[in-house]
Amino acid sequence: MYEFSYKNVDSVSAAVEAMQAADDGKFLAGGQTMLPTMKHRLASPSDIIDLGGIDELKGISVNAGTVTIGAMTTHGEVAASADVQNAIPALAKLAGNIGDPAVRNRGTIGGSIANNDPAADYPSAVIALGATVKTNQREIAGDDFFTGMFETALAEDEIIVSVSFPVAESAAYMKFENPASRYAIVGVFVAKTGGSVRVAVTGATPCAHRALRIEEALNGELNSAAVDAAEIPVEKMNSDIHASAEYRAHLVKVMAKRAVEACV
Amino acid sequence: MQCYDSGDYNAALDKALDLAAYADFAARAEEAKARGKRRGIGISSYVEACGIAPSAAVGQLGGGVGLWESAQVRFNPTGNVQVFTGTHSHGQGHETTFAQLVCDQLGVPIENIEVIHGDTAKTQFGMGTYGSRSLAVGGVAIAKACEKLIAKGKKIAAHALEAAEGDIEFADGSFAVAGTDKAMSIGEVAFNAYVPHSYPEGVEPGFDENAFFDPTNFSFPAGTHICEVEVDPDTGGVEIIKYSAVDDFGKLVNPMIVEGQVHGGIAHGVGQALLEACRYDSDGQLITASFMDYTMPRADNLPSFDVDYAPTHPPDNPLGVKGCGEAGAIGAPPAVINAIANALGVKHIDMPATSESVWRAAQSAAQA
Repeated sequence: MYEFSYKNVDSVSAAVEAMQAADDGKFLAGGQTMLPTMKHRLASPSDIIDLGGIDELKGISVNAGTVTIGAMTTHGEVAASADVQNAIPALAKLAGNIGDPAVRNRGTIGGSIANNDPAADYPSAVIALGATVKTNQREIAGDDFFTGMFETALAEDEIIVSVSFPVAESAAYMKFENPASRYAIVGVFVAKTGGSVRVAVTGATPCAHRALRIEEALNGELNSAAVDAAEIPVEKMNSDIHASAEYRAHLVKVMAKRAVEACV
Repeated sequence: MQCYDSGDYNAALDKALDLAAYADFAARAEEAKARGKRRGIGISSYVEACGIAPSAAVGQLGGGVGLWESAQVRFNPTGNVQVFTGTHSHGQGHETTFAQLVCDQLGVPIENIEVIHGDTAKTQFGMGTYGSRSLAVGGVAIAKACEKLIAKGKKIAAHALEAAEGDIEFADGSFAVAGTDKAMSIGEVAFNAYVPHSYPEGVEPGFDENAFFDPTNFSFPAGTHICEVEVDPDTGGVEIIKYSAVDDFGKLVNPMIVEGQVHGGIAHGVGQALLEACRYDSDGQLITASFMDYTMPRADNLPSFDVDYAPTHPPDNPLGVKGCGEAGAIGAPPAVINAIANALGVKHIDMPATSESVWRAAQSAAQA
């Protein structure tokens, strides 16, 4: 790890000021990707601005059919939240299966979606549930938030405040884990909300995305057999030592069918 | 030439079949099939050569070393016993197992025994810990050093108790004159050896003995391991449902440590069969350079193991032990792979049987 200067702030505005004053600053959420990356010297920010002390970024609330999770809420807190378990059980379950207990006790929803790892779990939920990402500057629709591999719609000094998930009629997430890292080789989130069925896929391609072909095949019905009709383009799939593109394309269908079945 | 020392291979096989409820497997396979899963059961029976090795045999095989071990057992005037061994313990529990040997043989409390290993500034030259040899070879050297202490102790006790050396019997830490109530403890004998005011003529002071042991044969642990898996044909995922191991390690000095060694060995074997591989890219760059990519077996990859023993007595080993360190890693890979092959109805699958390779094998088998 290279030397950096550590900034502890207690408000979003102070965090933004610190970022604007920094040469090459980075916001620190749970640090579960940032710190290992710095230890490997793959990143060497001049300033680390720790968001951990900002109370307004923490906490979970449910009202008017929406679950709102503060950006600095840990995966462990989401998994253990009775409110989330009641409103969107699939979301609580997803959070409870990220990484291991140490990761879940430090990693946060804001950090996860801002990092946008191609194999992270949360992006699929943000897209499939049609969530809204609230920042210190604006509101961004879940569909527009993830723009490419490790890329998002966020500006350099933009901070996620919270993520709001509309409560679905039914939802389920099915993940085929990488045997080593336990990230998703393929993860599929299916949500039925207001008569439409939305499907999002993570792990399979360079960036989590809405699976429109599967949605078309389902045509608003939670009928797993209909998934067979969807054609998954092998050439768009990731390929690595743990899973070829062909295998991933196959797993997208298998996980989609299982998620649809779990929704019923 | 070396011969198998002892073994009852049928006994291990029969016991393992019972432990694995092999006779009822067909019903379990049917039940799994109804859930869309494929169950398979795999058996592996092995005999391995451990306790390496008679130095003459090593020479005949072209090896440039002698594979003896040595031990020094230093009984201090304070009553504590230091055991120096040339083998090394890195988690196998030699500190406990070797201390038990000395405790049983010399009759001193186990808390008074210190096993010293690994620090080359303190310990003697050793031939190493591998080939399940530490107890079978190094342990025997410790026992021989203890025998020398007892033999010397008899001379010292005979002098102190005014008896003939031949009349001294040693048991439970006490040197006694046969047929009398005259006795002295091994601690008192040791003290006499360091404070030799009234001492047998020609006997060196001190109570500190050294011994070497060169085995006359290998030891041959053997056993049967049975693995039962459930394969998800849609994903290629393999779950180990049940794992039964019955091994012949000869006499068990510490059954808990032995069971731990078996568990660790099976975990390694499962890792080899299902998970672990070093991969390089086309430029020769290692891409499994961290545990994010290199798949170590973890607790959730494994079931609770059913472990039992079918011991026989190896006549060539003075302690009657065979060694247990590698059995799990030997038994597990064929048992796991046979189980997957059985589940899919195929003859072969390469290790590691990753989910993708199992899925592909399942696809091919379905088309055949």
